[in-house]
Amino acid sequence: MKRTFPWPIALDALALLLWGLMILRYWWTGRLAVLLHPDYHWLAIGAGWLLLLMALWRGAALLWSPKSLNTPHIALLPRRWSLAVLLAVAAFGIIYIPRPFTSDTALARGIAEPVALTRSQPRRFARNTPPEERSLIDWIRLLNVYPEPDAYTDEPVNITGFVIHPPNWPDDYLLAARFVLTCCAADAYPVGLPVQLSGDREEFAPDSWVNITGTMMTDTVDGQRRLVIQPQDVSPVPEPKNPYEF
Amino acid sequence: MLSLFALAGAMSQFNQGLTLFLSLLVEATPFLLLGVAFSSLLAILVDERKLVALTPKNPVLAAIAGSLFGCLFPVCECGNVPVARRLLMQGAPSALAIGFLLAAPTVNPIVFWATWVAFRDQPSMVFWRVGLTILISVIIACVFSVQKDLRPFLQPAIARQLLPPEPEPTLATATSDSPLLTRGTYLLQSTGTVKLDQPLVSTLDTAVLPSATWTVKAQAVLEMMLQEFRELGAVLVMGSAIAATVQVAIPREWILALGQGPITSILAMMLLAWVVSICSTVDSFFALSFASIFTSGSILAFLVFGPMIDLKNISLLLTTFKSRAVIYLFVLAAQLTFVFTLAVNLYTSW
Repeated sequence: MKRTFPWPIALDALALLLWGLMILRYWWTGRLAVLLHPDYHWLAIGAGWLLLLMALWRGAALLWSPKSLNTPHIALLPRRWSLAVLLAVAAFGIIYIPRPFTSDTALARGIAEPVALTRSQPRRFARNTPPEERSLIDWIRLLNVYPEPDAYTDEPVNITGFVIHPPNWPDDYLLAARFVLTCCAADAYPVGLPVQLSGDREEFAPDSWVNITGTMMTDTVDGQRRLVIQPQDVSPVPEPKNPYEF
Repeated sequence: MLSLFALAGAMSQFNQGLTLFLSLLVEATPFLLLGVAFSSLLAILVDERKLVALTPKNPVLAAIAGSLFGCLFPVCECGNVPVARRLLMQGAPSALAIGFLLAAPTVNPIVFWATWVAFRDQPSMVFWRVGLTILISVIIACVFSVQKDLRPFLQPAIARQLLPPEPEPTLATATSDSPLLTRGTYLLQSTGTVKLDQPLVSTLDTAVLPSATWTVKAQAVLEMMLQEFRELGAVLVMGSAIAATVQVAIPREWILALGQGPITSILAMMLLAWVVSICSTVDSFFALSFASIFTSGSILAFLVFGPMIDLKNISLLLTTFKSRAVIYLFVLAAQLTFVFTLAVNLYTSW
């Protein structure tokens, strides 16, 4: 009797294997940081290994008992469809390299308006840290609690962020921005501080990363009184391993 | 030149959508696996009859017990219908079964944890979600408990396997206790007599493999996990794709206009919950992507209403309940969710 190859079992095993590999590959290549808050990396990595184990178990059935137990089950989607969806997404996810959000996204989410500070309640309060040690999000949280820009005049500042060119701003202004994450990229929201350059902002391309040192001052940008960085030095830096702040 | 810019913008939007999509998938997969593992383990290993025997008979207490049962059965809304059906067939009061049906997908440790992870900045969301779900489930369960005999609400195949409700105690009970004289329909076979019109559970054990060895049980658990993962994973993929598309493709002004109104935001999120049918163990991540724009009450409405009734679980509910009962459940759940979350929007500053 001719024995047919058990395709359903083989495809199950392949789907599980690809899903596991997709997640673990993001971990190995360091791209998991683009997708998730570091606190939850272990969850995703654990799920990746579990999927690989399930793939092994399913693959073993190919060798020893190529028949599947049919437990009663109410299916919403035909089995073939759901399998096809899982396989297609995993195959794509293994090839595709997720990229952090860009200045376009930040502008689309209304970062240029001063009201767009942060929606989250501050988890720690940075007033006690020396100003030059505050990160971008520390500054924004501080402004959220006490928004008067004059209160920070002449305080030293040292932050890293990516460059945004808000379209309505004069050519010597750019926005240094970061995305803030509480759980995963789905809840990322942008925060930023205006920087008044001595030259043209075209020197720093949008989405390139810069480290800025300087002092704080108050200025009017696009008709709004705002806290602005007056830089002593703006130097290009490589994209940080973790592009988000928390 | 202009078209080049448009193309670059579109590419950037596309990349943003893909990053969103993958981040939702990668964050939700562990919780989906956990939910699938628990529900498979329980389906194979736990005997609900013992639990049913322990539950109170008072409808309100039974409703509360039922809505808390989810802590013991961490199933999402795809696993709760089969469990509720088993509970009914094992003689559970209707308040218990309905309370469980509505609350179990939300009131359980896995969903609690997932919601807490997603809404770390708003921990009150977790408590509102669980509290409101219990409240609504108990109310609906009490409404259903007025109907003492649930059989007219059930699909005929299931109703046949149910006991009629216990009759009110009368003086003439002594005669009916005789083990020799019982009425009913019997199948006479050479191997013995099978009573046909008694509840199925007392003839067959509904636990899938009662006397099987551990290896067979483990095999069955894994098999079921895989089956559920295949199906719910596909639904998760589609839900994540919808969430990512909505965030990227729909103009922000439209969403802002819809999401800031206290009434429109709730209606929009309830409709979304119904259509997207995303599993309750992972729906908080989905909701998270709307949390910055939509009112808190509407996010709550999504998290409370979605696990109770959605497009996917209506087809599951119809395997057990008649369409009339499903409509009652749907209308009651929708109205209560709307009223309570509107009150949250209007009367709390949260």
